Amino acid sequence: MTWNLEELRREFPILQQQVHGKRLVFLDSAASAQKPRAVIEALTTVYTTAYANVHRGLYSLAEAATAHYEEAREKIAHFIGASDPGELIYVRNATEALNLVAYAWGRKHITAGDRIVITEMEHHSNLVPWMMLAQERGAELAYLPVTAAGELELTALPPLLADGRTRVVAFTLMSNVLGTIPPAQELTAMAHAAGALVVADGAQAVPHLPVNVQTLGVDFLAFSGHKLGGPGIGALWGRRRLLEAMPPFLFGGDMILSVKKHSATWNELPYKFEAGTPAIAEAVGFGVAVDFLSALGMEAVQQHEQMLVAYALERLPEVPGLHILGPTHPHRGGAVSFWLEGIHPHDIASVLDSEGICIRAGLHCAEPLHARFGLPASARASFFIYNGTDDVDALVAGLQGVVKLLRR
Amino acid sequence: MSDLYREQLLEHYHEPQNYGVLPEADVDVQLDNPTCGDTIHLTARLDPEGRIAKVMFEGHGCVISMAAASMLTEDVVGKTPQEVAALELHDVEEMMGGLRLSMGRVKCALLAVNALKKGLRESGRL
Repeated sequence: MTWNLEELRREFPILQQQVHGKRLVFLDSAASAQKPRAVIEALTTVYTTAYANVHRGLYSLAEAATAHYEEAREKIAHFIGASDPGELIYVRNATEALNLVAYAWGRKHITAGDRIVITEMEHHSNLVPWMMLAQERGAELAYLPVTAAGELELTALPPLLADGRTRVVAFTLMSNVLGTIPPAQELTAMAHAAGALVVADGAQAVPHLPVNVQTLGVDFLAFSGHKLGGPGIGALWGRRRLLEAMPPFLFGGDMILSVKKHSATWNELPYKFEAGTPAIAEAVGFGVAVDFLSALGMEAVQQHEQMLVAYALERLPEVPGLHILGPTHPHRGGAVSFWLEGIHPHDIASVLDSEGICIRAGLHCAEPLHARFGLPASARASFFIYNGTDDVDALVAGLQGVVKLLRR
Repeated sequence: MSDLYREQLLEHYHEPQNYGVLPEADVDVQLDNPTCGDTIHLTARLDPEGRIAKVMFEGHGCVISMAAASMLTEDVVGKTPQEVAALELHDVEEMMGGLRLSMGRVKCALLAVNALKKGLRESGRL
């Protein structure tokens, strides 16, 4: 049982506008999601009633700001099944979360001859930090291949784990291009059995399906708040014993316990990794976005998006010369990438824009994956809670128009 | 359906002018736009006074980049290398019939002119 779509859409002020005289059809939530009124109002409330720097002031306003900031942390930790809010670190976005792990954990533990395993379907943010780490340390970077159907080639993993040189396996919980949902529990169990840590990129999965770090068994989880309806903020969850053994990523205020002229000691978790004044109101808004999704229920969110994916997979092939990337069964995420014979994806996006339809065109920060499929770029429509079958209908009609206009 | 894709532009896209490779060219240059996969191979010949006499191009890419290339091969004939070097976005938009390009499409429209500028520099004409 899902929700009344028209009622839900009214909670998103941005969706009420028209673009080029047409209803706004927003199909780019995989890049960043629109914000419900509750999140927008929470930012205003913080700034008008409870803003001050956190963890410092001895006056009641600062205490109120700190309380809101920490309460949001507890909600976000709970949302991903973590019992210890001290394991939840606020960062700018999932990219920063992954960089934090690659620098702070990676530089301490990766040495020459070690292996780092990632997959061909990674976003650049879960790829380039590992590439740089491998180059700096003289380690090997190995890729788990993607099959023609857009799934991970799981049989390629055991040989990469057999010699005991693999220290970390990093993979996405949902491809931002293919919509593929890799078998995370299976991958994690295999990695752990070989003594490797697991870093999960949850940027696409956390907003769209139930994610529980206890059930998954991963060691780190990176995700962003802005992709789930929150402001521009993200989070890293990691196991306490791992985070405690890691050096800080950034140095400065708030992350420090004591500073002498020639030495310093670090604050406790999670503050050790939160140097400087954080995004206070954004953190509060992140918590409100999590409340919004929790009220709908993540099972219902996933069910709603799978319904949309199934409908899109049924209707998109009506467009002549359209090819879908990734799995063609609906047990996948709501990022649906495709290409049209003889038409550049940028032209698809520009023509659809004139119809009020927002899609993404390009490499979606996944260049090696596009190279795997021999494509210079692709177009992507992605769904979230406020999308409906009417949006898919608008997309298909728009694409018919693209073909009519540009193909000869 | 779209202001951007007006008839004049689509004609240049579907039936590009000066498509191909110019033999014995004074300028022979390749330029790619890696972020969108557009590529252009541009060849040009100069007349005895050093002005652009003929430009040809081949490549693949979006409507904007290919139509701009086709239009450029007609527009720059008779210009000096210095005049080509001075061409800016505004000039390219005028050349394309007074189009107003969104930020995301600017580099598509400039691919051909940037290729020509690069080729003129590399061949010592600039």
